[in-house]
Amino acid sequence: MRKFVLSYLIPRIGQYLLVIFLGVTLTFVIPRLSPNDPVEQQVSQLMMSGSQVSPEAIEHMRVALTEMYGLAGSPWEQYWAFWGRLLRGDLGPSLSSFPTPVNQLLATAMPWTFGLLIPSIVISWVVGNILGAIASYYENNRVIQVVDVVSQAVRPIPYYIMALVLLAVFSYWIPIFPFSGAYPPGARVEFSLSFVLTVLYHSLLPLLSLVLIGIGGWFIGMKSLTSNIIAEDYVVYAENTGLPRRQILTQYIMRNAMLPQITGLALQLGMLFSGALIMEVVFGYPGMGTLTFQAVMANDYTLIMGITLLSIVGVATTVLILDLIYPLFDPRVRIQ
Amino acid sequence: MALLQLEDLHACYRTEVYGISRSVRAVDGVSLELYENEIYGIAGESSSGKTTLIKVLSGTFKPPLRVESGRVHYNFGSFAVDMLSIDPEELRQNVRWKQISYVMQGSMSVLNPVRKIMRTFEDIVRTHQGIADKKSFVEQTRQHVQRLGLPPDVLDLYPHQLSGGMRQRVAIALATVFHPSLIIADEPTTALDVVVQRGVLQMLKEIQNESANTVLLVTHDLAVHANMADRVGIMYAGRIVEEAPTAAIFQRPRHPYTAHLIRSLPSIGDKTIREGLGGAPPNLASPPNGCRFHPRCPLAIDRCRTEVPPLTTIAPQQRVACHLVTEAG
Repeated sequence: MRKFVLSYLIPRIGQYLLVIFLGVTLTFVIPRLSPNDPVEQQVSQLMMSGSQVSPEAIEHMRVALTEMYGLAGSPWEQYWAFWGRLLRGDLGPSLSSFPTPVNQLLATAMPWTFGLLIPSIVISWVVGNILGAIASYYENNRVIQVVDVVSQAVRPIPYYIMALVLLAVFSYWIPIFPFSGAYPPGARVEFSLSFVLTVLYHSLLPLLSLVLIGIGGWFIGMKSLTSNIIAEDYVVYAENTGLPRRQILTQYIMRNAMLPQITGLALQLGMLFSGALIMEVVFGYPGMGTLTFQAVMANDYTLIMGITLLSIVGVATTVLILDLIYPLFDPRVRIQ
Repeated sequence: MALLQLEDLHACYRTEVYGISRSVRAVDGVSLELYENEIYGIAGESSSGKTTLIKVLSGTFKPPLRVESGRVHYNFGSFAVDMLSIDPEELRQNVRWKQISYVMQGSMSVLNPVRKIMRTFEDIVRTHQGIADKKSFVEQTRQHVQRLGLPPDVLDLYPHQLSGGMRQRVAIALATVFHPSLIIADEPTTALDVVVQRGVLQMLKEIQNESANTVLLVTHDLAVHANMADRVGIMYAGRIVEEAPTAAIFQRPRHPYTAHLIRSLPSIGDKTIREGLGGAPPNLASPPNGCRFHPRCPLAIDRCRTEVPPLTTIAPQQRVACHLVTEAG
């Protein structure tokens, strides 16, 4: 155990912190390489709006904005101040909806994205993998062959096209589902049964578009993984020993074919923080994707940086957790 | 009564790609009998049809391998089985592992990498016998592997934590849990070094001595046959060319191919260069006419090129397929 902590856990966590450090540094550097000066942009926007402002007031505003954006002082001073605020958990105020803190915007959007993406990722992972394994093992089953063809056809469709198709069919031609939003406009966000049901009703089409495409992808991946595993000696051997087919499928084939899929699942879950951008925009869904879209459209630097940082930490953390628990799934990967 | 009667078995691999069908006759007219309580060795070079033959014998063949004709009849004392017509479910429940177990070629990788060895034993025992009491099952399994000279602790390990020799022994231990009537071992020692080989072979022999069952041992290694087998059958290009008790075949091989095989073995102290045999085994998709060995046979006569020599009994328990032997009488 001691050896594990010293020779694996501590270096691995060090690596994790290094990744986050580099990620944060890049988020700091990249916007500063952009030719756009947010302060000047803001000032010129104000001047273009035609209001008469005295040059002194403009100068005053320039200083105030520079201060607020964290652009005062030399790059090193800025960098230090940046880390200082970050470690205190302060991502600054949003520029587009000033003075609401970025933290608060993220906290409002996150539950919506999590509530939609976690179920859709998990459902499509479970269903896609089970179907994929069955498809490969029971090649001659008619139903499975149909599923196979459908998956092959659905898989290459971008999910936002799927979203538009679903909208056209189920909201326009057969208007049984709402066009957009996660709840009717003007409804009070609360935790009551009727509100939860409304949200579920509104989320069904976005969920469906994600799940359909997701299943197709996992299905195809699992099918090809399984078709390799089926030829492995230990599967042929299990068949020769007369084990029941169902047991061979679950404990010999799927158990082994699943290993790379677990990594894939973890990576997808790590991407949660950036949301499903286009899908959320198409459905007018108030999650991280929509927030990102708005931030980009409004040149809201602090918000963009906040979202980027969250994604970096999210992906790095899921990969760290995956590395630590992976030996539970594959005993061959014992930590040295 | 023979345990196995195999009569005139023809089996081929038939593949069809873009409407062009190709068929490779890997086993072409093999007949043999296995008796109770013996070790029968099958020898032959690569692609002589050894593995195809035992796939049919063990009932583990599936397309593209097909049996064209022949009869595979087992007599297990209490019941008889025709391998080519048996219902797959009956085969699975009554014959597999209880009567016939099969130590596959490449036993190094026959164990599920994510399952402890004990779980593999558990799977097999649960399927064929049921486990009423987990504790006594664990105890019995530990005793079983210990009797075979394996440390019982290997049961709590994963396959990748074992050496190749250990894995091979585990595979043999798995094949003997129910004391089957027939154990088929396909190249059980091929990937092992000689010291480990010896241990594995001894283990196999002890098991056979103890439970007086039949072992069908397939390997290209004649030295293994010399040490293990009671009778040996030599295969060449999908046919048995000679069959005899081990001592007889090594002392006086009758078929020119067997003679060359045995002459190629090194013996201690002899430093002369071994004589090789020109040519290569025939392509089974279009085998030569007559005796399949004739293009490589230094003694071939005209008759060999046109007429297939039948496998003829020339002495008790001794059969050979060669015109020269049968003509000389």
